[in-house]
Amino acid sequence: MSQPIEFTLNGQPTSVDAPAHRLLLDLLRDEIGITGTKEGCGTGDCGACTVYLNGQPVNSCLVLTGELSDVDVVTIEGLKDGDAYHPIQAAFIEDGGAQCGYCTPGMLMMAASFLEENPDPTDDDIRFALSGNLCRCTGYVKIVEAVQDAAAELRRRTGKGQDNG
Amino acid sequence: MDDLKVVGHPVTRIDVDEKVTGTATYGYDLVLPDMLHGKVLFSTRAHARIVRIDLEKARRHPGVVAVISGEDTPWTHGESIKDKPFLAQGKVRYIGEPVAAVAAVDEDTAQAALKLIEVEYEDLPAYFTPEEACQPGAVAIHEEFEGYRKAPFIVGAPMPNVCEHFKLRTGDTAEGFRQSDMVLEEKYYVPIIQHAAMEPHSAHAQVDPDSGRVTVWVANDAPFRALTEVSEALGLPQEQIRLINPLQGGGFGSKGGLKLEPIAMGLAFHTGGRPVRVKFNREETFISTLVRHEATVHIKSGVKNDGTLMARHMTLYWGGGAYAEKSPTVCIRGSLPSPGPYRIPHVHVDGYAVYTNKPVAGAYRGYGIPQGAWATEQHMDELARRLAMDPVDFRLKNVFVDGDMAYWGEQLHNVGLTETLTKAAAAIDWGKPKPAGVGRGLACISKPTRSPTTSNAGVLVDADGEITVLAGTVEIGQGCNTILAQVAAEELRVPIEQVQVAPLDTDLIPFDASTTSSRSTYHMGNAVRRAAIHAREQLLEMAGPALEGKQDELVVAGGKVHLKDHEDMALTYGELIRRGLGGEAVLRGDGSYTYEIGKDLNLETGHSDHASAFYMYATQAAEVSVDEETGRVRLHRLSAAHDVGKAINPLNCVAQIEGGVAMGIGSALHENLVIDENGKVRNPSFLDYHLVTSLDVPEIIPIVVECAEPEGPYGAKGLGEPGLAPTPAAIGNAVADAIKSRIRDLPLTPERVFWALEERDRK
Repeated sequence: MSQPIEFTLNGQPTSVDAPAHRLLLDLLRDEIGITGTKEGCGTGDCGACTVYLNGQPVNSCLVLTGELSDVDVVTIEGLKDGDAYHPIQAAFIEDGGAQCGYCTPGMLMMAASFLEENPDPTDDDIRFALSGNLCRCTGYVKIVEAVQDAAAELRRRTGKGQDNG
Repeated sequence: MDDLKVVGHPVTRIDVDEKVTGTATYGYDLVLPDMLHGKVLFSTRAHARIVRIDLEKARRHPGVVAVISGEDTPWTHGESIKDKPFLAQGKVRYIGEPVAAVAAVDEDTAQAALKLIEVEYEDLPAYFTPEEACQPGAVAIHEEFEGYRKAPFIVGAPMPNVCEHFKLRTGDTAEGFRQSDMVLEEKYYVPIIQHAAMEPHSAHAQVDPDSGRVTVWVANDAPFRALTEVSEALGLPQEQIRLINPLQGGGFGSKGGLKLEPIAMGLAFHTGGRPVRVKFNREETFISTLVRHEATVHIKSGVKNDGTLMARHMTLYWGGGAYAEKSPTVCIRGSLPSPGPYRIPHVHVDGYAVYTNKPVAGAYRGYGIPQGAWATEQHMDELARRLAMDPVDFRLKNVFVDGDMAYWGEQLHNVGLTETLTKAAAAIDWGKPKPAGVGRGLACISKPTRSPTTSNAGVLVDADGEITVLAGTVEIGQGCNTILAQVAAEELRVPIEQVQVAPLDTDLIPFDASTTSSRSTYHMGNAVRRAAIHAREQLLEMAGPALEGKQDELVVAGGKVHLKDHEDMALTYGELIRRGLGGEAVLRGDGSYTYEIGKDLNLETGHSDHASAFYMYATQAAEVSVDEETGRVRLHRLSAAHDVGKAINPLNCVAQIEGGVAMGIGSALHENLVIDENGKVRNPSFLDYHLVTSLDVPEIIPIVVECAEPEGPYGAKGLGEPGLAPTPAAIGNAVADAIKSRIRDLPLTPERVFWALEERDRK
């Protein structure tokens, strides 16, 4: 039943044998053994398992291994830029965006992807973008703050966009 | 205390790097060498005898190592009533009850084997509300109830299926009603909701084939209580059991007690020493772990025309589900303050915890306070409306203040309630004009903490000057590790970066009662503070001879000790330890804190001269409007003023309040675990069970009130639970103010609001 799957994972060529019906989430966690990507529901409702598939954020619990041939997958383990935090990680640390931390990897992946599309968001933009990522601890207040702070930092680095103030 | 360097400052969490990089390992992530995978067969009947169960086909399935049912696990457990079998024995009591379990080489194999298990049931009458379950003539859900081992405080009642009857008797309510100018009687209802921590449940277990020692890896919020419960159930000495607590992805009460632990252990006794992991997915977590108690609350009050409360009579039916779990203590601690934080001369409360054929109700953030507050705080507004009094003025006339004798017989001190009330109200412009259609409402609560309890702690200082806190408090996400590190850093005068908190393992960490009841900052904070002071004293004893000075000439600063006016000659902690104890030595300070209450709760009157180590006080105020076409409630803003005693970490206090309010919003507007007429959960998914999303949370105005508790560390009380307790009632009062119609059942769905509008317009 297993078949060889070849794809790029966090920049590294990766080859693994797995059945085609194995979920990407389970492939990462159980077959490859990196557990930063979290399972919250397994049915695409909570966003905890968000990863990038060819640059797009997806719920990895809704992706079958059979779809993975020659794709590029990035997980939370690949979000850092070398030893440096991504600005969204630094902002979550500073602002208290993580409490239990279980939703955090998915939240960070979605937020980082969103900021690439919208470098100068309003709070409502952020709330809409993250509405598929459930958090039970924070009430989202410090998460929205952190995304704003990360947006400001990214704008400062690129010299783009206007500050909403 | 003005010179506090770390305590009282907004310190960022010490555990956050691993959480933002994906390297944190939660219980659900844990992989053990040679691990087997467990799956569970759940009951499909709400109340039925098991006529036949056949495991043979499953046992013969390739890749299966163990298949067990209740016959293989002849043990029962329970916090205060030993009524819950590891796996169903002879009968099932709710849909979702674990009936059998399989351990196999992988999950797919275990799942396939489950399908080969045959179970035949014979249905019994089932009860889905606490009121119907305790009607005369109802069939007993636990025929053997009388014979169960029970805690000494359990009080029975001459009614079927009641597992606890709490009584509070103060004054004479009949006389109080006679003296009143107005008497109002109402009924409120709070449905079942679930904690829905983002990490689903799991447990791993292994039995050493030589020693028989049992090890359980589980994100439990009370590892030492779980250890005791396992020891009592299995009849093994506590030394034969070890609990290792991996990181916990949220709990809110759901991860206390024993849930998957018994299943994992049951399987591990049959695997020849191989460890077993049992994981529940989200649906399984919804149907077979723990829920919050549904409650029907009858309330009757008498009041003078000037707004003086004279009497309150309450009857609360707590739906406990199929097993007692924490129902008796939720019934006691939820019913006791349910008449509200007010001076009332005549009070009569009956709380009944009742078995039903629904999922088991357990601890849930707030421990019975939210249910009582939903009823009492809306009832207060109904009284105020009839008295033509402003709800704030009505409350201010009656709220507990310093020195009041509470109706449970205790004199209260350090009561910050009035300040929370005035500040929460002011934050949403209470009393100022508001646009048409906008409603404002507020609600007050007080909450006791579990008492008496003990926390022990150790503080290690090594030869590099690194400090490690040993504490049995569980980091659930609430930020306890940061708080405890702050306390140790403060007392040892080091930067917080020099302090870490050891992982939790009952073999290595001293006893702590539980990470529940908002007790940790106060109890464990005191224990860690004492342990750190003990370590500091030992360092000073070594420093005296080393620096050739008397004790009163020594100064501790920056992780060093020096003689007054000789800062340049300071010795670091590491140097002191190397000189005094040797190169590899570790210095250990120990600390313990027990809060001794006064007389035990009187089981006939509910009175105690000191029922709780401290009380938490809060007021929340909401501003809303309602779409009269659809019935949808729109939240404009919510203020939340909480008396925390002293904010050890103001950033963390605000985070706890915001998160609590959001959870309260969910229970106010969306959340309801729907159970149909057959006892089946109809919405066991995040698609159908509406958790609050980022779009559902309005502006939250957190307000930290500091009314210091002298016994608490630096004056601190607790904060974890109250954040959600007054929220639904505050919103309910605001909705009633907006639509001029009262809704007495939660949640305030558009449909309910719509019908309330229809009813109003018919009048």
